[in-house]
Amino acid sequence: MNVLIVEDEKSLASEIAEFLKLENFICDISYTGLDASEKIAINLYDFVLLDLGLPDYNGLDLIREAKKNKSESSFIIITARGAVEDKVKGLDLGADDYLAKPFALIELLSRINAVARRKFNIIASDIVLENFTILVQSRKLCCGDMEVELTKKEFDLFYYLVINHGKVLTRQQLYEHIWGNLLDDQYDSNFIDVHIKNLRKKLNVYAPAPWLETVRGIGYRINLNQ
Amino acid sequence: MMKLKLKLSLFNLLSKLFFTALFLLLIPPVIERINLRQIDNDLIEKREKVIALISETGIEPFISSESSDAFGSYNILKEEFISLEKIETGENFNFIEETSRLIENEEITYRVLNYSFRIDSQMYLLEVGKSLTSILDAKKNITSVILVFLVFIIIITLLTDIQYTHFLLRPLDKITSKLKGISNPSLFEKTPVKTTTSDFYNLDKALRELMENIDELFRKEKEITVNISHELLTPISVLRSKLENLLLKQNLEPDVSVKIEESLKTLHRLQSLVNSLLLIARIESHQFICDETISLNEVLQENIMELKPIAEDKNVILNEELTEELHFSGANRSLIYSMFYNVINNAVKNTPAGGEVTVNSLLRQGRFIVNITDNGKGMTEAQKNTLFERFRTKSEAEREGTGIGLAITKTIADFHKIEISVISEPEKGTVFSFIFP
Repeated sequence: MNVLIVEDEKSLASEIAEFLKLENFICDISYTGLDASEKIAINLYDFVLLDLGLPDYNGLDLIREAKKNKSESSFIIITARGAVEDKVKGLDLGADDYLAKPFALIELLSRINAVARRKFNIIASDIVLENFTILVQSRKLCCGDMEVELTKKEFDLFYYLVINHGKVLTRQQLYEHIWGNLLDDQYDSNFIDVHIKNLRKKLNVYAPAPWLETVRGIGYRINLNQ
Repeated sequence: MMKLKLKLSLFNLLSKLFFTALFLLLIPPVIERINLRQIDNDLIEKREKVIALISETGIEPFISSESSDAFGSYNILKEEFISLEKIETGENFNFIEETSRLIENEEITYRVLNYSFRIDSQMYLLEVGKSLTSILDAKKNITSVILVFLVFIIIITLLTDIQYTHFLLRPLDKITSKLKGISNPSLFEKTPVKTTTSDFYNLDKALRELMENIDELFRKEKEITVNISHELLTPISVLRSKLENLLLKQNLEPDVSVKIEESLKTLHRLQSLVNSLLLIARIESHQFICDETISLNEVLQENIMELKPIAEDKNVILNEELTEELHFSGANRSLIYSMFYNVINNAVKNTPAGGEVTVNSLLRQGRFIVNITDNGKGMTEAQKNTLFERFRTKSEAEREGTGIGLAITKTIADFHKIEISVISEPEKGTVFSFIFP
């Protein structure tokens, strides 16, 4: 998939590009609004990651232009401005999602994927993890015919780890994904530990889940290639 | 503390009473003295008349040597008398005195002029008297008339004084009521108070100008906070992405990974600090939309559900006693959620294993109240006083937070006009009450 990163902070743009390339995205970068405007007009991007605080351009105008030209790119706004009006305005103009700086790269990826699924009408298929099956549509976890009763938070946590399997997720990344950053101050690494502990307990009732790993000093990972 | 109006009225009353008392003390003796002089002059005049009569007609018509030694004449009401008698003394008198006489079984006080004179080597004593009864009665009457009159005057002037000071001080009342209950200078009413008193006009004007200046300073400070926060968030974002990308590199030494994660954690602290400051500045500058009507029980239940696993893990019982319900309008749901969350989360953190945290809702005097009660460590008075400050020293239990959570709670509560009260005792526990408007 093609992504245009519109971000005037050069090192941030290159970090996002580096990360997305690893995930097999083809990345283009614009440091100015004018450049972005031209690139959007010429190329066909699946995604535009748009920083609203550009020095030469009102980022929202880029969305307006693109929509006027019937561009099919999906816009994900990334900004430190974070004011509610900006968010509402952006979404009103047809942006697909909104991410406040600073964000986790993993979270950006998960947002892009979510938008992609909506855009291309991909019905996520069920995921099988050894003895367990995740029914993605109904948001349920089963072991054979039996349902593993998870709370909403436990399911979200588990699902986030599963779709990012193979990667170590820090407690903070997990926390932010589930709680957002409104409760930033109350971040407590213990929250994630408690939920993982409960999750493991519930899984172990049905079958061992050694693939749900604790990575010492860093976080958690679902590792299927043991 | 006493109201100015009351003080003025009291002063008026006391000063009037003082002058009245002074009047009542001074006036009767003065009147008495004037009266006595009048009487004395009268007596002297009468004596002159009698002497003139005697020198004209001789002493015989009054006292004949055979019939009697004395002559006395009273007028019909015994108010005055004249008496003449022979005396055996060589001295001359001429003085006025007050004496009581018993006449027909009635004791009457007289002012009596005693005067002696000699006719043909015989001394005579002339007494001219005038009763003081009428004067004493008059004195009594005058005193009581004055008293009644003064009491009447006092009451009338007191009432008009109260009315007038009330009228006069009304602009001051308005100014103080404008000041009452505003937590923020921007809430100070900008319309001038109507008054013809220059002092009040100047006071009101000075206050309005002061409030405007402070408001402007506050606004600038908030603007700076917002701008600085934005400026800070971008470099944080760059660092964070760089560190996250590093962490994704394959074949990292484990201790390098741990160091990167630790750096991320530190960076996160910085991030949440900036975000918290930004949140407070945004709430204070009214950047949040408050147009939702929310079920408070629903918000509380969500909070409790959220924190139950944490509480259970700590072996703390989290009770829910939501007996009353309020649909709170003009609210921002996510802010109200955070407001409760910070407090309930703190309560759970500060309660040792085996302890209890109870969230209950109740109605008291028509107001909806949410209490969050724990039987944890409690706080000292000093800790309680700095509880809502932005960068207070953190307790052991909240090392990971930025210590700004309760400041956020307070800001959200103020924004929604919700009162917070805290009762706490060390080693016994804490009760946080949210009192809804």
